[in-house]
Parts: sequence; C-alpha cells; structure tokens
Amino acid sequence: MNVTAVFSRTLERHAFGWLVAANAVGVWLAALLLWPALGGLAGPFGYGRWMPLHLNWQLYGWCALPLAGALAAWLVTPDAAGRWHLRLALGAWSAALALGGVSWLAGVTSGKLFLDWHGWARPLLPLAMLVLWSVLALHAWLRRGEHGPMGRAIRGGLLLVLLAVPSLLFWAEGREVYPAVNPHSGGATGASLLGSTLAILVVFGALPAFLRVPGRAAWWYWAALAVGAGVFMAADHGDASHHATGQIVALAALLPWLGLLPAYLRGFAWHASARPWLHASFVWWAVLVVTGFLTFLPGWSERLKFTNALVAHAHLAMAGLVTSLNLTILRQLRGGGSCRGFWLWQSGCAVHVAVLAVLGWREAEDPAALFLGDGFSQAAYALRLGAGGAMLLASVQWWKESGA
Amino acid sequence: MLVAAVIAATYAFFLIFAEFAFLELVQTAAGAVRPVMAALAAAGVAGSLVAAWRFAAVKAGRALAVAFGLCAAGAGLALVVPPAGLFGAAAVAGLGLGGLTVTLAASLRGLLEPARLGFWIGAGTGTAYAFCNLPWLFAASPRRQTLVAVALALLGAVLTWRWRILPVAPATGVDYAGRGKTTWIVWLLALVWLDSAAFYVIQHTPDLRGGTWGGPGLLASNALVHFFVALAAGAWADRGRAASVALAAFALLVAACGLLVGGETTGVAVVYTAAVSLYSTLLVHYPAHGARPWLAAGVFAIAGWGGSALGIGMAQDLQRIPSWFLAVAVVVFLGAWVYRRGPRGSGAAAGLALMGLLFADEARAQSDPVALGREVYVSEGCIHCHSQYVRPGTTDGVRWGPAVPMDELRRESPPLPGNRRQGPDLTNVGARRSAEWNRLHLQDPQAVNPGSRMPSYAHLFAGDAAAGEALVAYLGSLGAERAAELRAAQADWRPESGSGVVAEGPRLFLRLCAGCHGPEGRGDGPLAGRLSGPPPDFRQPAWRRLPPGEPDPERALARLIKFGVPGTAMAGHEYLGDEAVVSLARHVRGLHAASAVP
Repeated sequence: MNVTAVFSRTLERHAFGWLVAANAVGVWLAALLLWPALGGLAGPFGYGRWMPLHLNWQLYGWCALPLAGALAAWLVTPDAAGRWHLRLALGAWSAALALGGVSWLAGVTSGKLFLDWHGWARPLLPLAMLVLWSVLALHAWLRRGEHGPMGRAIRGGLLLVLLAVPSLLFWAEGREVYPAVNPHSGGATGASLLGSTLAILVVFGALPAFLRVPGRAAWWYWAALAVGAGVFMAADHGDASHHATGQIVALAALLPWLGLLPAYLRGFAWHASARPWLHASFVWWAVLVVTGFLTFLPGWSERLKFTNALVAHAHLAMAGLVTSLNLTILRQLRGGGSCRGFWLWQSGCAVHVAVLAVLGWREAEDPAALFLGDGFSQAAYALRLGAGGAMLLASVQWWKESGA
Repeated sequence: MLVAAVIAATYAFFLIFAEFAFLELVQTAAGAVRPVMAALAAAGVAGSLVAAWRFAAVKAGRALAVAFGLCAAGAGLALVVPPAGLFGAAAVAGLGLGGLTVTLAASLRGLLEPARLGFWIGAGTGTAYAFCNLPWLFAASPRRQTLVAVALALLGAVLTWRWRILPVAPATGVDYAGRGKTTWIVWLLALVWLDSAAFYVIQHTPDLRGGTWGGPGLLASNALVHFFVALAAGAWADRGRAASVALAAFALLVAACGLLVGGETTGVAVVYTAAVSLYSTLLVHYPAHGARPWLAAGVFAIAGWGGSALGIGMAQDLQRIPSWFLAVAVVVFLGAWVYRRGPRGSGAAAGLALMGLLFADEARAQSDPVALGREVYVSEGCIHCHSQYVRPGTTDGVRWGPAVPMDELRRESPPLPGNRRQGPDLTNVGARRSAEWNRLHLQDPQAVNPGSRMPSYAHLFAGDAAAGEALVAYLGSLGAERAAELRAAQADWRPESGSGVVAEGPRLFLRLCAGCHGPEGRGDGPLAGRLSGPPPDFRQPAWRRLPPGEPDPERALARLIKFGVPGTAMAGHEYLGDEAVVSLARHVRGLHAASAVP
C-alpha cells in the first residue's frame, strides 16, 4: 500500500467535511445578503454571528487540515497505531472547530477576523494543536532510528518550531494584540502581506518532501526565499502606509514568484490525478500575486479597499489557490482519485471572483447602489449565490467520495 | 497514613507552587505570565501522557520518586534561574507534576485497602488544602512558599523510592465503560473549569479576596472546612456515591459562582471551599479507583490541565464569570448525567447541551452601557459589514466625517477598523445619527432604509432591552467628541456645480423619504407615528429648518438631505452622490413651492 494512502481517507473525511460545512455557511450568508428578510428565520443568529463560522472553518478546517495531513504523512508511522493516533488528533481538531462554531453563534468572539477564539473557546484550537503536535513528536521519536543525523535534526528542528505555534496562536487571539495597520487604508501593510505570503511559500516548498513526491532538489527555491526573507526583514514593520515606496518595493518582491513557484513545483513528478489541480493552482497563484500587488498600489487601494473587490481577492486566495493546492495534496496522498467536480469548482470560483470584483469596482463610485440594493447589485449577488451553490455541490461530491 | 501523606504532598506541591508561588515569581521576574504558564501546562500534559505510556506497577515507586524529583528540581530552578530560564523551570516542573499525578493515581489501588480508598484520598486531599491555608504559609513570600514546595517534593521522593506496588485489575462497571468515562471527564472538566475561573475572579477582586482568604481567622476556618469536607467526600465515594458527590460539588460551585456573578461576597468562602474539597477528592478518586493509567492521563490532561487553562483563559479575557456560562455549564453537566444512562439519553443530552449553548442569553454584567454596547457590537459581528476607519485623503472624509488618530485606534481593545462595508462606516455615527434613529433602524432596518441589507436586531430590544439600549449608547458614543469638527466640514460642503437631474428626485423621494415624510411630503409616512417629533409638512408655507432669508435654499436643503439634522430623527444620506442629493433637494423644493401657491 502507498505509504501515505493510509492516512488519506481519514484526512479527507475531516478536511472535506469542514469544506462542506464552511461552504454551506457561505451559501447561507450569500442568501442573507440577497434576501435579508431570511435572517428573521434564524432569530438572534444573524449574519454577523455566522460570518466567523464561514471564515474560521475555511481557514482552520479546510485550508489547514490537508497541510497537517501532509506533515503527518511525513512523520507518522503508516500503520494501524499511526492511523489511530491521527484520528485522535484530527478528532480533537474537529471538536475544537465545532465548539468554536458554537461559541461564535453564541456571540462569544474576540472581534478579530480569523482570530475569533475568545473566552472559554480561546484555548480550544491551541489545545487541539498540542494534541497533533504530541502525535507528530511521538512518531518522530519512535522512528528516529530510520533517519540519519541530518534527517533527525530537520525533524527535531521543525517540531521545535511547531511547538511554539499553539502558544503564539493563543497570544495572538488576545484582544490586546493587534497587527500593524496601514494608516492610509486601515488594512494590512506591505510588510505584513509579504511576510504572510513568504510563510505560505515555505509551506509550498516543503510539500514535495512531506508528500515524498519524486523530483529534483531545487536549492534556488530556498535561496530565493532567503532573499525574500531579507527584504521582509529590511522593510518597515510599523504602521506603514501603502504610499511609502519601501512598502511597495517590499510587496513587489513577490512578483518574481509568479514564475518561481510553478517552475519549482513542476520539477516534481506529481501523480496524474493531482496534476490538473496543480496546474489550476498555478493560474490562481498568478492572478493572486498580480491583483494583490495592484490593489495595494496608491489609487487602486483607495478605490477598492472595503469593497467587494477585496472579498473577491480573499476568495481568489482561499477558494482558488488554496483549494486547488489542497486537492493536489489530497490526490497525491491518496495516489489517485477522480477529477469529478474539477470544472464545477473552478468555474464556480471564477464566476464568484469575477462578479465580486465587478461589484467592488462599481461600489467604490456609488456605495448607495449596494447599500440600497439596486437591480445590478441584486443580480450580482444572485449570480454569486449560484456560484457559491456550485462550489458547495462540488465539495459535497468530494466528501461523499471520501467514504464519509 | 504514608500513602495519605504522599497524596497530601502531591496536592500541596500543586497548590502552593503551581497555582500560587510560581505564578507570582513569573509575574515579578518576567511579567509575561501566559507563555510560561502555557509551557507548564503543555509539559504537564506531556508528562501525563509519558507516565501513562511507561506505567508499570512494579516500577511505579521509582517513577514516583523521579517525578517528585523533577518537581523539586523545577521549583528549585524557578528560584535561581534568570527570567528566560523560567520556561525551563516550568517545563521540568510540569513534566514532573504530570508524571506524578498519573503515576500516583494509577498506583493507589495497589497501595490501599479498596474499601478505604476514598477515605485516605480524602484525608490526603483535605490535609493538603488545610496545610496550604495555614496562615504562615498562605501569607509567606513566593520564595518561601517555593522552598516549602521543594521540601514537600523531596519528602515525597524519599517516601516513595522503595515502594513496592501490587498490580491490580482495572475497575469495571458503568463509570468505567465508554459512556461513564466520557461523563466523568466532562464532569471533572466542568468542575475544574468553573473552579479555575472562580479562583481567578476571587484573586483579582480585592473585596472578594478579603472576604474569602482575608486574615488568619478565615484561613483557619477554610482549613477546617477543607479537611472535613474532603474526608466526607472520600467516605461517600467509598459507599459508591461518587456521582452524588460530583453533583453536590457542582451545585455548590455553581452557587458560589452565582454569588460572584451577583457581586455578593458573604458566604462565598464557605460554599466555594466546600465545593473545591468535594471535587478535588473526586479528581483523584475516580482515576485511582479505575487503576487505568491512560484514563488517569485523560482525566488530568483534559479535565486538570485543560480545565484550568479554559477557566483561567475565560476569566482573564472576560474578567468575570458570565451568567450564560453558568447556564451552559448546568445544561452540559446535567446533559452528561442523562448521557451516562444510555443510548436514549445521549440524544437528549446532546440536544440539551447544544440548546443551552446556543440559546443561553449572555448576561452582560457590565455596568457601563457604552462598554456593554461595544461587547454587543463585537458579539453580533457588526464588524463584518461596518468599518470604523476613515481613510485620510479619500472621499471617506466627506461621507463619514473626520478620521481617528492611529494611537486612539490602538488604545481600543480590540481595535475595530473592520474590513468591509456592506453598510456605512460608523466612525462618527454618534455625531451623524440620533439615538432615536439608531434605535428605530436597529429594530426595523428595511422600514427606515428600504433596500438595506441589514438584518433586524429587534431581539436585542426584547425583555429589558438592555443589550439593544447599550448598543444604541455605544453607537451614540462613536465620534461624539468630533461632532464640532464634523459640523464645520458639513457647513463647508457644496455639491459639485451642474449636479442634479430633476427626474431622479421623485423616484428617490418615494424610496428614501416617503417612509417618514409621506409620498407627497405631508409628514404622514408610515413611520411618522413612531417618531418622537412629527416630520414637517412640506405644504406649510414656512420651512422648519431653513431660515427665512436663506440666500441659497437649494444648497441648504441639499446639505440637510446629505447630512441630516443633528439630534433629530432626520438622518443624512451621506452615501448618495451630489447629483442624487441635488435632485432630491429640487424635488422637495418643488413640493413646497407647489403647495405654497394658494
């Protein structure tokens, strides 16, 4: 049996399950925007209480779990005990997400996007992370004899870094902590955007190793990342404006990655069932980097900040890039799987992003049209609801295929 | 007796070092308490898991001595290392404590007569609590308390080094089957969670602290209550009444928390002390009776370390125990009781727990309505549709008023700049909208603003309407101090020349104004009766808001339509473009002129 396939079913059930849940909430939210009176059916559980479920379940459920699975495939012994341990860790993770959902519906939230864990729910995800870490550390220890000194050092070092994550997350969830703010937009600074994207590039770079995809080592990828890290360190990390040249230059350091990331990932022999998803992720990546840079520039930022155009950008990142990449991971782990739902998802996502981008562009000039629900914005929201429904349908198909 | 002494040493080490002295040492030396305590908890969980993994009865004596040694080493390190080294001290002490609790609990059935297991556990637990309440120790400096903890751990190591423990068969029965185990872990989790939160609140509220642990007399009576209640709890557990003891502990703890929520100090000490003794005895008795190392690890990792983290985290964040949380805890505890009874009960239990969590009305105990209103704003997720950020140098300033300085934004906890505008920016909404308008709009947004995507928040005004009125108060506070600056900017505003398409005016009037002013401007719209002051009848010869000699009435009228009339229900329409505003102004003037003709 494929070494990594032992985990794939367990992992898929959790990951696709959260994708379905988050998408279902997203469709509900899209319907509420189109027909606000529907909110009356839900009593006190209004639009604002559902939003954290959509955001956090996408991020910590769908986006995070396949990456955790890739890590587990690298470290955990692929036997019955390992699978049981992985089930335990994924169960703890899912329990944390479910309880988090209950807390947000009950109105217990920090008021910080993607860091809504608050009050009694605040330690839940860090505790689930500790459970996962314990499983990874246990198996790294049990398998220490299988690796040379370098292999052991890499695994030990990575586990040490990962051990800091739960504490950092717990700290970041606090209301007293808030990241740097771009004073001219109220949003993220160029340095913050660069830093978070570089972190994602580190994960992308490590994927072939975690998934044991055959291919050539590419030192230049890590060298380029080191250069990017240098640019990040040199940038102003305070409340810096997008009018500051340094911030623009820092963010421009991502532009070469338009070609570097696809070139790197193409150097590995991905499974045939994973390749369509990988190619889709290249397309989304290119659109994401270009639009991310453009929307940061003076003039564009002023026009698009706070509008649906930035919601489009978020969906471009999560539903476009991350989903395509996560399907690459899951198909690679399984060593197969059908392409069902590929075009349904991709076209749904493209329509979703395009509609919101157009709406956002228009909204900047005439906010009244959106606030008062004119015909154009209603039609756009209806189209968006349909596109969201298509993505939900695709995710349900994948979940069913996982044997859930 | 010796076994009771070892139980007492373990509990006393945990209470006097991990819960008190170490916290104070970290606070004094490093300031950053949370990361170090998180390291202690993480190491405690790791120690529990390792102890369960490596447990063997025949080697348990040595394992206990090693664990005691690690505890002593961790506590000793805390006295001598620099601030950065406190993480190491926490890790060593946590590993020791985690290993010690699991190994001890898994060994007790092999050391004690089964019929007296609870009694001796109660004796050890009660002795530990009584010892820690001795005035000379309770009021001692953190360093002295730590030295005592080191001495206790070393004593424990000496006592256990040569122990020979008999292997025993794991307990069976309803409490050690799948449902029973889940129930007990949920119960103990709820108990530790509530206790940790209550303890934090008492410690950080001077009146409560004084009323609970203030003075030698109170400490001595606490010590006596602890000792005898723990003994009684153990004896009841020996008679097979452990579940009843858990229920009694929970009821007392909820009563103590209820008193805290109500701000009551009288009687808290006795109720709280008794509750803590009852459940602390069970926390050892349940895993000890089970004689299952992995169950002990589960109990101490989830209920012990997890419950403490959840309780302290909640109290630190909220600075109180919300009454809704108590309601949820009751539902979960009783739900688990039903669940323990079998498959039929499980669905009802899950349903009860979920209903309790979802429908628990958050008792927002804040006394300041603005602060409470901010909590409501955060809880309801208003940030997902409304920003509070005026971008300098953009059209935001004209629409939404003056910007807020960055240092003012950063002083908020948390800052709420938002990232989306499905509706208007609210930075200065307190200067732009009256309380009356906000109240009406929150209750019935579509009636006030046809086409609005905002859901109704009428439920916030149900009952005593405290949440709704607090939200109105909070919105009223936003930008109130910038009202003069806002008015000055509005006075300077003039529509771009050439604005205004008259044909647009009637349609806009019917859509945006007729709700209050009526379709013909007679002041007889459907909302008029819900306003404190009736809207003007435009057919009257005199304008209510325009002075008779106004040189540019169209511009003045356009300004009223754009920015509203402060302090009244007449709201502005800041989001409309100049063309739409001027069209409306011309239409309204037309209504007035037409009606003014005799």
